[in-house]
Amino acid sequence: MWGPPDMKRFLKPGWLLLTFYSLIFFSFIYLPLAVIIIYSFNSNPMDMTSWQSFTLDWYRGLFGLAEVGPSLGTSAIYVESTDQLLKALRNSLIVATTTTIISTTIGTATAIAMTRFRFRLRNAYQGLMMMPMMMPDIVLGIGLLIFFVTLGFKLSLLTIIIGHCTFLSSYVFIVVQARMAALDPALEEASADLGANEWVTFKKVLMPQLMPGIVGGAMLAFIISMDDLVITYFIAGTDSTTLPMFIFSMLRRGVKPEINAIATLIILASLIIAVIGLYLRTRQVE
Amino acid sequence: MQPILEIRDAVRVFKTPEGGAVRALDGVNLDVDANEFVTLLGPSGCGKTTLLRAIAGFEDLDDGQVRVDGADLRRVPAFRRPVNTVFQSYALFSHMSVARNVAYALEVAGVGKDERTRRAGELLELVGLEGMETRKPSQLSGGQKQRVALARALISQPKILLLDEPLSALDRQLRQQMQVELKNLQDEVGVSFVFVTHDQEEALTMSDRIVVMCDGRIEQTGTPREIYRKPKSRFVANFIGETNMIKVTFDGKGTATSVEGIILKVSEAAPAGRATAVLRPSDLTLSDSKNAPAHAILGKVRQEIYLGAELHYLIEADAGGEYWRVTAKDEGVGFHTGQSVALSYDPDVIHLIEGDA
Ligand SMILES: Nc1ncnc2c1ncn2[C@@H]1O[C@H](COP(=O)(O)OP(=O)(O)O)[C@@H](O)[C@H]1O
Ligand SMILES: [Mg+2]
Repeated sequence: MWGPPDMKRFLKPGWLLLTFYSLIFFSFIYLPLAVIIIYSFNSNPMDMTSWQSFTLDWYRGLFGLAEVGPSLGTSAIYVESTDQLLKALRNSLIVATTTTIISTTIGTATAIAMTRFRFRLRNAYQGLMMMPMMMPDIVLGIGLLIFFVTLGFKLSLLTIIIGHCTFLSSYVFIVVQARMAALDPALEEASADLGANEWVTFKKVLMPQLMPGIVGGAMLAFIISMDDLVITYFIAGTDSTTLPMFIFSMLRRGVKPEINAIATLIILASLIIAVIGLYLRTRQVE
Repeated sequence: MQPILEIRDAVRVFKTPEGGAVRALDGVNLDVDANEFVTLLGPSGCGKTTLLRAIAGFEDLDDGQVRVDGADLRRVPAFRRPVNTVFQSYALFSHMSVARNVAYALEVAGVGKDERTRRAGELLELVGLEGMETRKPSQLSGGQKQRVALARALISQPKILLLDEPLSALDRQLRQQMQVELKNLQDEVGVSFVFVTHDQEEALTMSDRIVVMCDGRIEQTGTPREIYRKPKSRFVANFIGETNMIKVTFDGKGTATSVEGIILKVSEAAPAGRATAVLRPSDLTLSDSKNAPAHAILGKVRQEIYLGAELHYLIEADAGGEYWRVTAKDEGVGFHTGQSVALSYDPDVIHLIEGDA
């Protein structure tokens, strides 16, 4: 049945339009990222948009390996200090990791309970779980701030973690619940039928079956937690600056080339996480 | 000998969202003997699945008992019951290999790896799937999945195997092949099978005993021949294959007269009174009305359907009443629509259901 490909098909107006649309679509998404990556290697310290020459100085500067002093008449210090950057990064990683673990646990447990058990006010509960996703960040941020202050919490990494967990649990819940709803209830019954108690069934059947959802939800939680600025801004203490807050405060004093370097590193990190995530997903369930 | 499974006065009531109640099981009593192949047969919604799930332990009874080997299973959770299930959806674990699926019960019971591999191999051979150990369920056909589900349910040597419409997802040819294989397998492993289906042909083919259910109750229990030949109610007669049912008055001495005045000779002993005469389409013989035998019913052909090996006729009796269904072998000569014919039968095959209903 294999004939020569029908080239005419690809020349039809519909196909051309579709190709054109796809090109625009992908440029729209990826061009800004490409620009940032390219500029992060541009040695022009004044005007990022005109290319001077290739350099790794901005990256060296980030890690304190090169002195990127004031030049060409500016008195600004480009990166406040490498220490501060690394501390912000460390804070963000602590927050994101802890939040991911806690909210993945809560979200997954809730999703399982909501699908498997019928109880009173179940629908109301489900609605409450969705709420934080609909809520504007700024409302959530202010609400959390008032909450913490009223209860006498000292704003710190802990308050950021608690704050992130409140809304990221619902993200994980929604992702895992979708997977859970698609699961054949007979799987768990089959496991019980073959002699497995609830814990063994959970370990050997439910968890592996839910794993793509759990991994997806955890990745989502990690990325959102790493990335969140608005809510974090309200509930962070003086000593708990996160990476987005650090970048934002840098930006307020002008766009500097180091930002491109940081952004490029973040893109790289996200790519690595995404690749690992995809790998885990395809490996877990065929 | 004590039955391996005893169900006593089982009642299960479900609340409907509209606020009503459905009696899915309404006082069911059933015994299953060791090595017996029992089929639960009935229309959709009559409570077959509910009964099976109550035996497996997935559904609690509101009243009544399930006993296996004499032991009441009321407080015994599903994972401790000596019965296994083959699910309609197969319910294979997609993240495990075929071998691990089959050996799951042993894995859970803490049996060592070598023993598990050996037993899984044996069971896969039993169901004709040797060499498929490392495949994933997604790489199997429907019939193969079915066999894996069977092997998996049989590996821990249950006392009873429960099967809920396991063949309904297969195409006709494969289904017929699996019916024979299942019956042979049951003979081989010597486990009691409780098999659920809504397909009367399937039930007749495979069962030692058929249990006909309707609206949460058992209508009749008996061998396939009893169920087919001596249905106790119009419902059973109707459900098990095509049938002619004629309301008659029986004189208690071998003559039944229908409302229209058709006279039927009956050998069966039955008390006098109102009854329904049951005659299977294949029990009737068609002949030309010119040389009609004694006691034949005279009528005209209203429709003929050619089905290859068989011919189906609808006959309108001259006396009136419902059309008669007749099945005949294709022997080259047929009867055509409008032709006058005579219906004859052997008085031995007429069965009477007592009562008015
Ligand atoms: N979990 C349930 N909740 C409410 N009603 C149910 C439930 N399970 C079954 N039923 C009702 O019980 C009756 C019998 O169902 P079932 O045992 O599944 O029938 P079958 O398997 O013979 O088709 C049906 O009317 C069905 O609607
Ligand atoms: Mg059913």
